[in-house]
Amino acid sequence: MTEHSVRESMKRVDTTLPKLLMEKAQVHGHRIALREKYKGIWKEISWGQYLEKVKYFCLGLVKLGLEKGDHVSILGENCKEWLFADLGTQSAGAVTVGIYPTNPVPQVEYILDHSQSKFVVIKDQEQADKVLAIKEKLPLLKKMIVIDMKGMRHYDEPFIISYQKVEELGCQLDQENPSLFKTLVDQTQPEDVALIVYTSGTTGHPKGAMISHRNIVHQTIHGTMPILHFTEKDTLVSYLPLCHIFERNLSMCIPLVVGYTINFAESVHTVQQNIQEISPTFFAAVPRILEKIYSGIQIKMEDSTRLKKFLYHFWMPVGRKSSEYRMKHQRVPMGLFLAYLLGYLCSFRSIRDKIGLLRCRCLMSGGAPIAPEILDFFRALGIYTIEMYGLTETSGTAAGPHQSLKYGSVGEPCQALEFRLDEGGEILFMGDSIFVGYYRDEKGTREVITDGWLHTGDVGKLDEDGHLYIVDRIKDIIITSGGKNISPSEIENKLKCSPYIKEAMVIGDRRPYLTALLQIDYENVSNFAQNSKIPYTTFRSLAQNPAIYELLQREVEKVNETLAQVETIKKFILIEKELDQDDNELTATQKVRRKQVSELFRSEVEALYH
Amino acid sequence: MNFGGIRALSDFSFKVDEGEILSVIGPNGAGKTTLINCISGIYRARKGTILFRGKDVTGRNPNQIAQLGMARTFQNIALFRGMTVLDNMLIGQGYLLHYGLLGAALFLGRALNEEVRGRDKVEEIIEFLDLQHVRKSPVGGLPYGMQKKVELGRALAMEPRLLLIDEPVSGMNLEETEDMARYILDINEELGITIILIEHDMGLVMDISHRITVLNFGLKIAEGAPKEIVKNPEVIKAYLGEVGDS
Repeated sequence: MTEHSVRESMKRVDTTLPKLLMEKAQVHGHRIALREKYKGIWKEISWGQYLEKVKYFCLGLVKLGLEKGDHVSILGENCKEWLFADLGTQSAGAVTVGIYPTNPVPQVEYILDHSQSKFVVIKDQEQADKVLAIKEKLPLLKKMIVIDMKGMRHYDEPFIISYQKVEELGCQLDQENPSLFKTLVDQTQPEDVALIVYTSGTTGHPKGAMISHRNIVHQTIHGTMPILHFTEKDTLVSYLPLCHIFERNLSMCIPLVVGYTINFAESVHTVQQNIQEISPTFFAAVPRILEKIYSGIQIKMEDSTRLKKFLYHFWMPVGRKSSEYRMKHQRVPMGLFLAYLLGYLCSFRSIRDKIGLLRCRCLMSGGAPIAPEILDFFRALGIYTIEMYGLTETSGTAAGPHQSLKYGSVGEPCQALEFRLDEGGEILFMGDSIFVGYYRDEKGTREVITDGWLHTGDVGKLDEDGHLYIVDRIKDIIITSGGKNISPSEIENKLKCSPYIKEAMVIGDRRPYLTALLQIDYENVSNFAQNSKIPYTTFRSLAQNPAIYELLQREVEKVNETLAQVETIKKFILIEKELDQDDNELTATQKVRRKQVSELFRSEVEALYH
Repeated sequence: MNFGGIRALSDFSFKVDEGEILSVIGPNGAGKTTLINCISGIYRARKGTILFRGKDVTGRNPNQIAQLGMARTFQNIALFRGMTVLDNMLIGQGYLLHYGLLGAALFLGRALNEEVRGRDKVEEIIEFLDLQHVRKSPVGGLPYGMQKKVELGRALAMEPRLLLIDEPVSGMNLEETEDMARYILDINEELGITIILIEHDMGLVMDISHRITVLNFGLKIAEGAPKEIVKNPEVIKAYLGEVGDS
């Protein structure tokens, strides 16, 4: 079947997320939908209870005056109430807006104001304080709904209502009018906007991408499922921010289609522990997290016993060798397979157990480009590791490996969308999962969608087998004064593989050679300093220390050896502060805002070219 | 109260009302810790009486006093270092358990119920103090500030009516101090526990106390609301002035 006819034969999505939830609750009401650790014990919530919670919250909002088309913001860390509020809002035909819990006050204000939210659901006192500080400037905001009232006994305001109280109101309304919820859900239409996702945007204000029920469900069924093959037996831990399309798909939308179980961590501090306890069958991560796990293992191995170190270094090449076969979807030769089994028993098994990936059938990286070296490491441990490509504007998945894996590739473009590269190599998509548009920003929408094609702003290459390789963001590509096109993120990711480098920014546009700003990894570098008896007091004094500079010099040289001559880093500096979202240097997803950062270190950068 | 002929506390009378936070301040050696030790029964007062909820507790053993609903923390951490946070806290629950040896062996009925109730209570405190991530870690390996929190948790596990806290923020940084202040306020307001607080950190004391008692060389030199205390010339001379000089 040609690609085109596959798309022709696709059934058009004709449902909505709340309708899917009703279906799930009807078909397997007693199966476990969610788990949350509470008082040290994993508590289970069935699909039937899930629906009931959503129903009460939805009706509670209706009682408080929510109408079809209204907007409700949710601000807080992942928890089950986040999902109840999300689907509760959608059930009433209203639209959910997610806000990052790490956002500082001005950004929270911008999104609440721009999205014209009528209600805001918040997790705890920390978030409540942010909203209360700007309440006066938000005339459209009617009520703040608080999930966890701990520490808020003094906040006596009619503006505040507890989550529980809203549920009670909903329960009352349900008794008065038992068919109301069903009527509301029946009224939701596939083309209605379900959610608005504010993109983090490395430049300027965040933009609110409107995503319809059809968009997100189409993307799940026809885009993600042929790649990830979820079943109801899968178990996932929800820990990335839910307001991002990536985690929203995994925690909210895909389970509604497939019916697997989502687990919520006990608190922000226990995520790592909880992942280990649950040992999820599918683990999705952003590059930053995989880099951290990778460097964590490297550092721990150095401190480990000689035997463990020996076993690890002895078996690693075997792991790498057998992963090459698996990547090509070929059978591993018997001898190698047996050797790998031994390696698994001696070393890999316990490493995988420590990081909570023992049962993991698929590890996926997304959200930003990652260095292929890191993926290779996890593959050597025997974990099926893939990189996928997606955007908020494609409601998630846009490309992923369907069969074989290729080094550095994000797999084939997904079947849910039509795909082409324009003359400049820019990646374009068209289809049912392309978003509706930016909220209150027609100009912005027209800039990215022309004649139905979404312009992703990324440059890509296709190989002869149809595998897609992402080069970089168009606007980030460096053209040196020698006229060479260089992708900075590729080099930056290689640098970030080093356990001592947390952040890297390569500079060189219209310059004779490349330089880099590096931010040291405070934890690992201070460990190094302690072991080698280098005195320091703060991050700044550590970054200024010549011995640390030498350490980083060695790391940079190691990376330079793997690069072509024009791509090598000739000079670098260690920045003397940790980049922070509060100082506007990182986005909510922890990506470096290039413009702000190069502005901040302008004089230091100039000095590198003299 | 005398130590080798030195009088640590004398002619001293004070009262803490139910539901309040009373702070006791004073320079080194003023007798603050002695006072707490007397109240909790570790030292025995030579003269005078200590009344707790209408009962004379003078001269009783610490365990008897604890049974009446009084718990304390120590200035120098006194935890079981090799045991986990959870186990340390469960020990605080110990005196609330009443099942016998046979019950414990069978672990049915009353023993099971009491243990479940105890664990539930301790989990509440773990959540209250945000200690979930170290629940199963041995106390000895935890940072100092965290250990102080565990000690507070152990005292809370005794479900006391009156809590004596001895220098909760000594050796803590600013952020930890602020957190501790919030916990003390929450303990007082949300759990409704009366608190006697001994502390050097004047900022903390002024912020959270309802009343302050000032000690100097075993004598009470002033008592009142924080606002009055800062204006009291004798206090300034004995204590606040000293801080200003250093």
